[in-house]
Amino acid sequence: MTKHYSYQNPRGHWAIAFMVWKALFLREAVTRISRKRAAWAWLLFDPVIHVVFMIVMFTAIRMREVGGMDMQAWLIFGLMAFSMFSQSSNQCKNAISANTALFTYRQVKPVDTVLVRAALEGLLVIVITLILVGGSLLFGTDIIPEDPLRCLAGFFGLWLMGLGYGLITSVAINMIPESGKVLDMITAPLYMVSGVIFPLGQIPPPYQDWLLYNPLAHGVETVRAGVSGFYHHFPNLDLAYLYQCALFAVFLGLALHRRFEAKLIAQ
Amino acid sequence: MIRVEDVYKRYQTDHGPGKWVLQGVSFVIPPKVSVGLIGGNGAGKSTLLRLIGGIDQPSRGRIERRCRVSWPMGFGGGLQGSLTGRQNAKFVCRIHGHEEDIAEKIHSIETFAELGDAFDEPIKTYSSGMRSRLQFGLSLAFEFDVYISDEATSTGDAAFRKKASTAFKQLIDSASIIMAAHSESTLKEFCTAGIWLHKGTAQWFDNVQDALSAYKASLPKR
Repeated sequence: MTKHYSYQNPRGHWAIAFMVWKALFLREAVTRISRKRAAWAWLLFDPVIHVVFMIVMFTAIRMREVGGMDMQAWLIFGLMAFSMFSQSSNQCKNAISANTALFTYRQVKPVDTVLVRAALEGLLVIVITLILVGGSLLFGTDIIPEDPLRCLAGFFGLWLMGLGYGLITSVAINMIPESGKVLDMITAPLYMVSGVIFPLGQIPPPYQDWLLYNPLAHGVETVRAGVSGFYHHFPNLDLAYLYQCALFAVFLGLALHRRFEAKLIAQ
Repeated sequence: MIRVEDVYKRYQTDHGPGKWVLQGVSFVIPPKVSVGLIGGNGAGKSTLLRLIGGIDQPSRGRIERRCRVSWPMGFGGGLQGSLTGRQNAKFVCRIHGHEEDIAEKIHSIETFAELGDAFDEPIKTYSSGMRSRLQFGLSLAFEFDVYISDEATSTGDAAFRKKASTAFKQLIDSASIIMAAHSESTLKEFCTAGIWLHKGTAQWFDNVQDALSAYKASLPKR
């Protein structure tokens, strides 16, 4: 093996890592907010338009309640819970290629860029969710969660899954560029089968069991169950299953980063 | 001190492993000796600088760095195009642990680079000369034992080169430079020793002039 580090930096490994994360976080936040014209406004408008569109659609088909829960709350929390996964995994996917210039500095590792992007995206989704809840309050619909901790547990599980998936795909895309297309094909139907816009509880038994192998569905449904105590979530709701999958994905992603670090930097 | 021991390097191409760029390169750079890398285009100068800078790993062999080595300056590496010079400078200060005296550092970078209002413009609007001014300013703002420059001086104008050279002469008691350059005058101005890269191997010369002569002697005569 090639031994590389003979000079020990007096700052210490963790201190350096925290400095790098902080610097990267500020930098990512600046680009995310000021990259294009009024990028900060689109950050908010994009999900709001999505949610409002869905609410209008549901109102048109006269669905006032889903599984004993207010339709607006069902949609807002479902969509935001799912974007916790999709936003963070999407941003993480391209974290390495967007930051190649920075690997000129030895202390910046590819895995740092992915971790920082996931953290930023998670924070953004939380802020947008709070704005949507606040907005609903102004319109007279109280959708404040009855069990906020359960909500957060669902959100965090989905974020962790997004991070794990992002860690894996970021390596895969850089090692085998074609894999990006295949992964996109796999993730595209996830929005449909995770029970974001139709209740999985209404699907007949043999097929429902198949869909419940998707860990994201458990996260989305847990968040809703935390919002309303009267919500009839699908049977066999298992948040631990989501966490098991997420931790496995994070572990695999970190292992891949460690294994291929030199190759990821060298491009 | 930097010790390079029997280093081999080749890159992965789309069609399997590429040709060997470096084949058994060994030398030791003593403390406080400035070295110029000399060789034709594609001789492996940039590759060697990246290996010494720790950005890339050798395919075989080992490199030991017993001192603080800067990142390789040159060709816009380490600068993000969509951000301004100031934002890039802040980032570099932060990752080097200068959160408290960031204002001071930014000021010294700004005065050294002499970019004027362009310091607050995105890097992608910079000319290559402006980039190298910023890069030199950035790395000189931090204390390193060895600074690595990959043609960072070649795009700067005469005034800048003079300034960079004076700045280095002030550091000469504490620091040294490893540089790749094609300009003979630049090499003589900055370096004492020389390394001649030829056909994948490296030859050490205590005097940079000898390295230049060896390089010139290898060129085909007409």
